[in-house]
Amino acid sequence: MVRPIEVGRTTPDHEAKKGGLVKRWIANLDREWKTGWAFALPGFMALAIVMGFPLVYAIILSFSSQTLLHPDLWPFIGLDNFTAVMGDSRFWGATWLTIVYSVVTVAGEFVAGLAIALMLNKTIKTKPIYFAILTIPMAMSPVSVALIWRMLLQPNLGIVNGLLERANLPRLDWLGSADLALWTMAFIDIWQQMSFVVLILAAGLASLPREPYEAAEVDGAGHLQMFWFITLPMLRPVAMITVIIQLINEFRTYDLPYVLTKGGPGTSTEVLSFFAYRRAFLGLSLNEGTAASIVLLAIVLSMTVVFFSLLEQRR
Amino acid sequence: MRLTRHLMAAASFAGVLATAGPLHAESITLHALMEDVPETQIIEAMLPDFEKQTGIHVEFEKVGYGDMHDKLVAQLTATESYYNVLEVDFLWAGEFPKAGWLADLKPFVDKSKYDLTPFIPSTFALLGSSADNVQLIPMYNYSMGMIYRDDLLNDQKLKDAYKAAFNTELGLPKTLEEYVQISKFMKANAGVAGAAMQGQRGDPNSMEFSNYLFSAGGSYLGADGKVSLNSAEGKKALDLYVDNIKNGAQQGALSATLDDTMRLMCSGGAFSMVTYWWMLPQIDNAEKCPNVAGKAKLASMPGGSGESGGWGWGIPKNTTPESQEAAWTFVQWVQSKDVSVKRALGGHAPVRADVYSDPSVLAKYPYYKQAMDIVSGGKSFPIFTYSAQYEDTLGAQLSLAGGGQATSEVALKAAADGLDELMKK
Repeated sequence: MVRPIEVGRTTPDHEAKKGGLVKRWIANLDREWKTGWAFALPGFMALAIVMGFPLVYAIILSFSSQTLLHPDLWPFIGLDNFTAVMGDSRFWGATWLTIVYSVVTVAGEFVAGLAIALMLNKTIKTKPIYFAILTIPMAMSPVSVALIWRMLLQPNLGIVNGLLERANLPRLDWLGSADLALWTMAFIDIWQQMSFVVLILAAGLASLPREPYEAAEVDGAGHLQMFWFITLPMLRPVAMITVIIQLINEFRTYDLPYVLTKGGPGTSTEVLSFFAYRRAFLGLSLNEGTAASIVLLAIVLSMTVVFFSLLEQRR
Repeated sequence: MRLTRHLMAAASFAGVLATAGPLHAESITLHALMEDVPETQIIEAMLPDFEKQTGIHVEFEKVGYGDMHDKLVAQLTATESYYNVLEVDFLWAGEFPKAGWLADLKPFVDKSKYDLTPFIPSTFALLGSSADNVQLIPMYNYSMGMIYRDDLLNDQKLKDAYKAAFNTELGLPKTLEEYVQISKFMKANAGVAGAAMQGQRGDPNSMEFSNYLFSAGGSYLGADGKVSLNSAEGKKALDLYVDNIKNGAQQGALSATLDDTMRLMCSGGAFSMVTYWWMLPQIDNAEKCPNVAGKAKLASMPGGSGESGGWGWGIPKNTTPESQEAAWTFVQWVQSKDVSVKRALGGHAPVRADVYSDPSVLAKYPYYKQAMDIVSGGKSFPIFTYSAQYEDTLGAQLSLAGGGQATSEVALKAAADGLDELMKK
C-alpha cells in the first residue's frame, strides 16, 4: 500500500533523506571551503606581510611621535601629525597639483591609448610586432625613463632642442620653466604609461562581439556612429577599470619629479607623494610624512570606491 | 689505513682553514656610498693598493648627491647598516650625530694614536668635530670659487665692446655686481652663457646662492647666532642671483645640477661657473674638455668669500666591531700624508695643511695657492640638525624667485623665517 504524501508535511523517510542531503551539502561546502582556504591562504599571508603589516604600521606611525631623531612610537599624539601636515600651505598646493596632474595624464593616456588600440584593432598580421614595440616603455623603470628624457630634453646639449633649432623653432626650457615643467613631466608619463592602456583596451576591443557591427552596417551606420554608439558603450567596463588603475598609478607618482625636477622650479612639480617624502626624509619627521601618505591613500581609496560604484550602477 | 690518513689530512686542512678565517681581515668587505665626483674616482683608483696592504676589500657605490641622504638614512635606521664606512657631508654633520647613528671615533683615535694635528682646524670645525669630540674625520674640502674663461676675458674685441658699453676695463670682477654685469655682457656678446648656473631646487641652488650671499657681505646667522639672512646684503645677493639666472645664465638654469653646469662649461658653452674649486683640473683636461683646456682659470668669489663645505669619514654605530675596526683602518690609510699627496696629484682637495704646501703638489698644480685662499676665506652654510631640510626650504624660495613666481622680498623673508623656524624646532 502506498501512503499518500500530504503536501506541506514531511515523512520520516523524507526527513532522513533531507537531513542527509543537508549534511552532505554542508560536508561538501566544508570541503570546498577548506580547499578554497588552502589555496587562498598563501596569497593572504603574502598580502598580510607585504601590504597588511606596512599599512597597519603606517597608520599607527601617523598617530605617533616617531621621527628619525626620536625612534619611539610612544607617546601617541592623536591627530597632531595630520593637523601639522594640513596646516602647511604647500600640502594643499601639492594636493591640487596631484589632482591636475593625474587627470591630465590619465586623460592623455586614455585618448592616445584608445586611438592606437583602435588602429591596432584593424591590423592583423603585424599586430605582434606593434605590441612588442609598445611594451618597451612599459618594461622600463620610471627612473630610467626619467633619466633618458632628462638627457633628451637638456636645454643646451639635448637632442630635442637641437632638432627644434634645426627646424628654425625656438629652443624650449622644458624642465626649467615653471610654466612648462609640469606638462613636460606629464608628457613623459603619458609616453611611458600609454602602452599599458593600449594593451588593455586592445584586448577589450578584440573581445567585442561582431554582431552589433554587422547589424549597424546593414542599417547604414557610419564608422563614427559605430564607434560612438557601439564601441564606446561596450568598451565602458574595460575603459573604467583602465582609468581606475591609471588614476591610482598617477596619484602615487614619485619617481619622475624626484629625478627630473626635485619638485621645482619653485614648487611647480611638487606632487603629494614628493611632499610626503620631503616631510619624512628631509624634515626627518617620519610620522608627518606617513600622515601625508595616509591622506593620499584615503583620496585614492575613496576615488576607487566611487568609480567602482559607478561601474556597478551602469551594469 | 691510507683512507684514514687521507681523512685525517683533510680534517687537519679544514681545521686550519676554519681557524685562519676569522684571524684575517680578508673576509671583511667595506661598502661605502660615495658621491659620483672626481674625488671618489681618485680614491677608487687607489683601492687595490689598500687591499694589497691590508687584505680589506672596499667597494664604492657611486650615486649623485641628491640620492645619498635618503639611502644613508634608510641604512642607518636599520638593524645593521649595509654601508660600514660612511662618506658624510657637512650638511648632515648636525643630524647624524644628534640621531645617534655614528660611532664615536675618539676611542679609535686614542687606541691607534692617530695624529690629528696636520688637519686644517676649520675642516674639523665644519664637521662639528674637534680633537676632543671626534665624530667625523675630514675627507676633502669643497670650498667654492669662480672658474672662468681667461681667453674670453682677454679677448680684445670683447674688451673693446665692454669698454664701450660700461666705460670700464673688462677684467676679473671685484664685486658681485660686476660679476653679474660681466656674465650678462658675455651672454649678449660672446655667444656663450655668461654663467653656467646650477639652479635646481635643493642642494644645487642653495650652495650656489650661498656664494652670492657671502660675496655680497651677507650671512645666514649673525654673531649672536640669530638669523640674519633677511638683510640689505641678502636682498642684494638675491636680486643679483635672480638677475643672473634670468639674463646671464644658460637656458634651463632652474633645472640644472652640478653635472649639467660641468658639461656646459666643458663644452665651451659658458664663460664662468661658481663651483667647487677642484672642478678646475676636470675642465682643464685636454682629453675630456678639448674646447676649454688651457683656457680656464680659478679665482675666489668677488668680495673674497665663497661657500665652504666638506665631507668627512664616519663609521656607523649599527655595524659589527670587526667591520668598525676595518673601517677605521681604511680611514687612517686614506687620510694619511702619503695617500693624501697621491690623491692631491690626481686633483684631490686636501684637508691636511701639509699637502697644500707639498712641493710635488705645488709643482703640478700651482693654483693650489689660490685654492688655499678659497679654503681659508670660505664661510659655511648653517650647520644644525635640520640643515638638509633647510637646503630644501631655501632652495624652493630661490627657485620661486628665479622663476618669477615670487618677488625677492617675499622669497627672502620666507627663507629667513624658514631658517628661524627650523632652528627653534
